[in-house]
Amino acid sequence: MNARVYGALIRDTFQEAMARWLFWGLFALSSLLVLIFLFFLRIDLVQGAISFAGSRSSRPIYDIQHFVNVSYSWVSTTLYIWGTFVAVFASSGLIPSVLEPGRIALLLSKPLSRTTLLLGRYAGNILVVLLNHIYLIGSIWIIIGIKTGIWDPRFLLSIPVALFAFAVLLCVVVLIGVMYESAALSTMAAIALMLISTILAQRSFVVRLLDSEWSRDLWQTLYWIVPKIFDLGNALRQIILFERDADLLTPVLTSAAFGLIIMLRAIYVFERKDF
Amino acid sequence: MITEYALETKGLEKIYRARFGGREIKAVSDLSLRVPVGAKFGLLGANGAGKTTFVKMVLSAVHPTGGSAMIFGKDAAHPEARRPVGYLPENHRFPTYLSGTGMLDLYGALSGLDPAERKKRIPEYLNLVGLNGWGDVRIKKYSKGMLQRLGLAQALIHKPRLLILDEPTDGVDPVGRREIRDVLNRLTGSGVTVFLNSHLLAEVESFCEYVAILKKGQLALEGEISSLVAGTGYSIVASNIPDAAKEALKQRGVAISLHDSGLEFRAATREESNHIIDSIRAAGGFIESMHASNISLEDVFIKTTANATPAEKVA
Repeated sequence: MNARVYGALIRDTFQEAMARWLFWGLFALSSLLVLIFLFFLRIDLVQGAISFAGSRSSRPIYDIQHFVNVSYSWVSTTLYIWGTFVAVFASSGLIPSVLEPGRIALLLSKPLSRTTLLLGRYAGNILVVLLNHIYLIGSIWIIIGIKTGIWDPRFLLSIPVALFAFAVLLCVVVLIGVMYESAALSTMAAIALMLISTILAQRSFVVRLLDSEWSRDLWQTLYWIVPKIFDLGNALRQIILFERDADLLTPVLTSAAFGLIIMLRAIYVFERKDF
Repeated sequence: MITEYALETKGLEKIYRARFGGREIKAVSDLSLRVPVGAKFGLLGANGAGKTTFVKMVLSAVHPTGGSAMIFGKDAAHPEARRPVGYLPENHRFPTYLSGTGMLDLYGALSGLDPAERKKRIPEYLNLVGLNGWGDVRIKKYSKGMLQRLGLAQALIHKPRLLILDEPTDGVDPVGRREIRDVLNRLTGSGVTVFLNSHLLAEVESFCEYVAILKKGQLALEGEISSLVAGTGYSIVASNIPDAAKEALKQRGVAISLHDSGLEFRAATREESNHIIDSIRAAGGFIESMHASNISLEDVFIKTTANATPAEKVA
């Protein structure tokens, strides 16, 4: 029974997403990137390696495998940032739209809990973005694989990592959406978090510049509170490059904790809100 | 003898508090209402009387600050209590990206219908509300009247036992109104309780058996419509009445107007009508006719909402 309700909510989110130009824009931009890789990035075993590495990396290329790894790390990081940013932007309206007067009252009159309604909507959003990430990152992985002959499955790690980052940011979108029913504010909050995360992640450098103990503590505290969107991307890059000190677990766990707390707060607010 | 109520509220209350300044607004106050199973119940009230807030509290879209609401004996706050409820909101915003069929499929699924049942019922209910052939058309192409019909189909598709309709004929042409009323009459014939929230007094009067009138969030009047509009006054037509007797009655506050057969006297109570008759007879006048006069629901409504008397109950 609950599965049927979740199925209906996810399907509805999907249909609404498809009806929105922003989502078509998301898929169009993904397709554009795929086409760029397909037609313009002329990577074959020799020429592509030289041209690409020559323009993008100052590191010596020891072999083609390393070149592909470097390329993968660049591409995956770019896709991670781009995909997360665009996904947040495209999906921010999906929560406030369901809270419109006349729509929410009817949904709440159905035999489903508010938590189910919110989580169903959240899950539908995640699924749409998952499909886009699979399409975008999977296509580029296949294109690079065909052109280089090297198939490195670690590149595909971009899909769950980008989806995870989006899922955490979507919790913020949901909370702001539930509280203020504003798509613009939701987007701003999520994008701001991405930027703040990037700034806070420079802590090893910044902490040396701060002259007071409390400001250093504040920086460190904020670093641990805010979801580590930058660190996730960095860990992804390091894993693809086989770097030994790659740490994906810490940013995943702390960001998941942040997302969970924010989602619980969103559910609490939604449960108590009058419509 | 009614033993179960489709809807029952006890001391229901909603106070909105301003975010800043702490000012309180009582939208609904101490509202106790019972809607018998199978009844056709109308809720009336001026704009801002608390009708929509009341309905939203019953459906848990608004949380009461006091009191309780039960649907078929179950706490209305529990999602399961809403399973037998069909609802058509006022100023609805149906998802315009869906077709008529898609919308009924969505709300049917959310109401717990399995896919096979939905597939079977969707054309049936589109047909019932006169939207045959419109199922595959996106609802953004629908007129307001068509949206109301689709909304009604949405409220009915899971065969609810309690139907809550907020301005169901808003935007519907007279023929469509009649059709909707016929559909509702057929439903009540099969035991469905209809709770109608409407501004249209004539609609409520022609369809409902029971009515409650809200005023400033309080229950101002409740009862069977037939009791409310019948026997609430008397009309006495008399002739050959001396001026002195006429003046004496006028001084007592009796309403007097000209009539084809003489003068018409209106009395609010049986005692008053007897006194008028006695006075006319004593003065040598002739009683031409006398009957209990009905008043319209509109009169009841205006009188109730104009007066400050709270919670008068008419059996």
